[in-house]
Amino acid sequence: MLRRTLMTSAVSVGALAFSPWLRAAPSVGQTAPDFSLVDTAGKTVRLSDYKGKHVVLEWVNPGCPYVRKHYGSNNMQATQKDVVAGGVVWLAINSTEEASSDYQTPQQLARWMMDSKAAATHTLMDPEGTVGKAYGARTTPHMYIVDPRGALVYAGGIDSIASSRVDDIKTAVNYVRQGVRELLAGRPVSAATTRPYGCSIKYRT
Amino acid sequence: MNATPTLFTRLSAALLVAATLSSFPALAQLGSTASAVVTTEQVRAELMAQAPDGAGPGKTVWVGLQLTHKPEWHTYWKNSGDSGLATQLLWSLPTGVSAGAIQWPLPTKIRIGTLANYGYEGTVLLPVPLTITPDFKPPLLSDTLDIKLSAAWLVCKTECIPEEGQFTLKVPIKSSTAGNGAAFDAAWRNAPEALAGAPGNALVVEGKTIKLTVLGLPPAWQGRTLDFFPETPEVIETAADWTQGWNGATWTAQVPLSAQRSASPQMMPVVLAVNGQGRRVEMAVTGNWPPSGGAAPVSTALQVALGQGSDGGFRLGQPPAATLGFWAALLGALVGGLILNLMPCVFPILAIKVLGFARHANDRRAHRINGIAYTAGVLLSFMALGMLMLALRSAGENLGWGFQLQNPAVVATMALLFTLIGLNLAGVFEFKQIVPARLAGFQPRHPVVDAFLTGVLAVAIASPCTAPFMGASLGLAVALPASQALAVFAALGLGLALPYLAASLVPAVARALPKPGAWMDGLRKFMAFPMFATVVWLVWVLGQQSGIDGAGALLALLVAAAMLAWALTLAGRTRVVATTVSIAALMALAWGIGPYVTQAAPLARLDRDGQWQAWAPGRVEQIMATGRPVFVDFTAAWCVTCQYNKKTTLSNQSVLADLAARKVALLRADWTRRDPAITAALQQLGRNGVPVYVLYQSGRKPVVLSEILSVDEVRTALARL
Repeated sequence: MLRRTLMTSAVSVGALAFSPWLRAAPSVGQTAPDFSLVDTAGKTVRLSDYKGKHVVLEWVNPGCPYVRKHYGSNNMQATQKDVVAGGVVWLAINSTEEASSDYQTPQQLARWMMDSKAAATHTLMDPEGTVGKAYGARTTPHMYIVDPRGALVYAGGIDSIASSRVDDIKTAVNYVRQGVRELLAGRPVSAATTRPYGCSIKYRT
Repeated sequence: MNATPTLFTRLSAALLVAATLSSFPALAQLGSTASAVVTTEQVRAELMAQAPDGAGPGKTVWVGLQLTHKPEWHTYWKNSGDSGLATQLLWSLPTGVSAGAIQWPLPTKIRIGTLANYGYEGTVLLPVPLTITPDFKPPLLSDTLDIKLSAAWLVCKTECIPEEGQFTLKVPIKSSTAGNGAAFDAAWRNAPEALAGAPGNALVVEGKTIKLTVLGLPPAWQGRTLDFFPETPEVIETAADWTQGWNGATWTAQVPLSAQRSASPQMMPVVLAVNGQGRRVEMAVTGNWPPSGGAAPVSTALQVALGQGSDGGFRLGQPPAATLGFWAALLGALVGGLILNLMPCVFPILAIKVLGFARHANDRRAHRINGIAYTAGVLLSFMALGMLMLALRSAGENLGWGFQLQNPAVVATMALLFTLIGLNLAGVFEFKQIVPARLAGFQPRHPVVDAFLTGVLAVAIASPCTAPFMGASLGLAVALPASQALAVFAALGLGLALPYLAASLVPAVARALPKPGAWMDGLRKFMAFPMFATVVWLVWVLGQQSGIDGAGALLALLVAAAMLAWALTLAGRTRVVATTVSIAALMALAWGIGPYVTQAAPLARLDRDGQWQAWAPGRVEQIMATGRPVFVDFTAAWCVTCQYNKKTTLSNQSVLADLAARKVALLRADWTRRDPAITAALQQLGRNGVPVYVLYQSGRKPVVLSEILSVDEVRTALARL
């Protein structure tokens, strides 16, 4: 009962926080900020298009060694495939600014995702960094899960071992797989906030 | 029996070597190319030493990694801030020499756009003290202390490059090494001094901020603006603006919390600095962390293992749990199964087996058939349990071995079963008196079925005791393809059944048993006691799960059930009356107090049990961040091996003294009830059941100790810290 009251108030605080003059990153349990971004194929995608489904957000930058750790080992793609096969939407977002040496055009990024055999539902361009900042995304990779009601239910790292060694992937707990598995089984996410690790996102300053 | 220890030792040595080689491919390839300096495009890294009085036992020796960054590049402090990773040092030192924690010099706050990191630019030396005990013996024909270091650092400008280097250094034992004195002096001067906690110090969580009050700072600092560096990552909003002020000699500050905070520490060491001088103070946290932080409390721990619905067919791969090959796992499972026969929890089954041997001692054919039936029972139930576990796991359940006993209903049913077996052995009733006449002769006339069921029972009881090797094998099994996983379970079963099977096939063993006679009745009655002892254990387990009310209710139900069993042995009208009364009593009790049995006990899980603290996700990392090693006891009330270790080795005075002397933090992860967080932690260690004992130390791989824990083993592991 108390829990429910807390939940309701958390959600209303989240709605307040989303008003433009009070923009702070959402906490887990609050409403995930809605956004509208163009994907690498030029199609406009809104988060609210997927109301009623679980959505995984992945901050990506192919120039970052930590992103390459998880793509080079096929860990990220395998996670995407499994999660998407469970009926979950996966949105990869690139918030790298145009002036950064890591910046890739939509065509380059689409090509890279295709060559990597990525299974993201959409790959979105956020060169202004507005969506990244709205979520408080700090690193690549930085992972979020939004539940069907539109609440943020996970914020943190891809897995439990912060390192650049590919060998660590097999012993690490993949928090996104674990979280999605728990959510789809109707349970709360046991590790709802974890430490994101990786390169800083190259935001426009 | 004489051959067993040697075989056992050899096997374990072989497995250990195989596991070590496969998990450290990089170390195995480490050639002699390493030197004291590694240069990359961004960094020049040098391993240096400071040993002005030589490096013999009792001497103070410092070593350190000096990183010289190219302009604009930086590496990270122990808390790297919004992104980045702390530099990691992994030492390989001779016996008798151990390395302490890095004495991190003061970092600077490095802003990158809207984010902020704590790290080092220019040149920094990360010093580490070495302790040299009299156990240290210099290598033959040389007079040096040989130091090997494997270091990993992340170097960033706006882009980041993870780099690593292998370093070696020979420090003369008898002559002085002081060429880098200036660099070490500068690093020590730049490291924060410990500031004793003053009574007025406070770190209060208030809404979305923490408020700090610090007393006892150097008087010269008063009125100046200080830098603030929390050692615990993932708590504050590193890049956000914060406020500070002086009130006489008292410094206060208000720092915003991260909205996506993932740590909720009880103790926060923080570093305050001005002008290259620092003070480190450990702050006890008061107030309540706002809900978003920390791993969410696991409210699902009580969900019944078997009952939960799932999403139907949604499969996510399991992370591979261990680097053990399939054949090694099979062998490990077989040996593990064999050892299961010696476990205290299998004792009641051994008792049943002894009876079986005595009864058929003169009938070789019956013996053989019984042996095979028993083996079939063991194998099939192991595979059935394995299949059930795999099916549930793939459906999203977070289970581990022993999960059956995490369900109070299963525990209660087993208590009932054992009560009835005990009463039967004690002669209170015979099965033929209480079952319809048609089935009456079933049990004696079908010894094969009986032997098969004994096998099933053996598995039900033995499964919670994961013997050595079995833990790793099972951890692997859940990550293997289903067919291979089932083969591992089958090997486990074969191991358990093997001694009985061998004895039943080899007449010499049967002949060695005493001739049947009146003593058999005595033995049978005696065997009732181990059964009742098992009931005591099960009631205690249930008490952990459902509280004193649950345990009491179960005992009441057991009494009523016992009365019913007795009533059925009577004849004529007495039988009808007594049976009716006992059934009525049983029903009334089941309706009235039955629900207590499966009800969750009020969550009275103790936060502290002596020096032991409750384990929580992230807790180990938090404590390690303060430089203390951590010992974790993964345990469960229903795990007899765990309880045995707890009462013997973990209560041993010399072990406790060693733990205290090395300031090891003690954490206990109680898996008596379902707890996905603990299951995940076990999985991370490549295990899938309890007991598991792990010693963590910052900068080293966790050391997993064996499941039958010996005093020597713990002390040896502690000595290596």
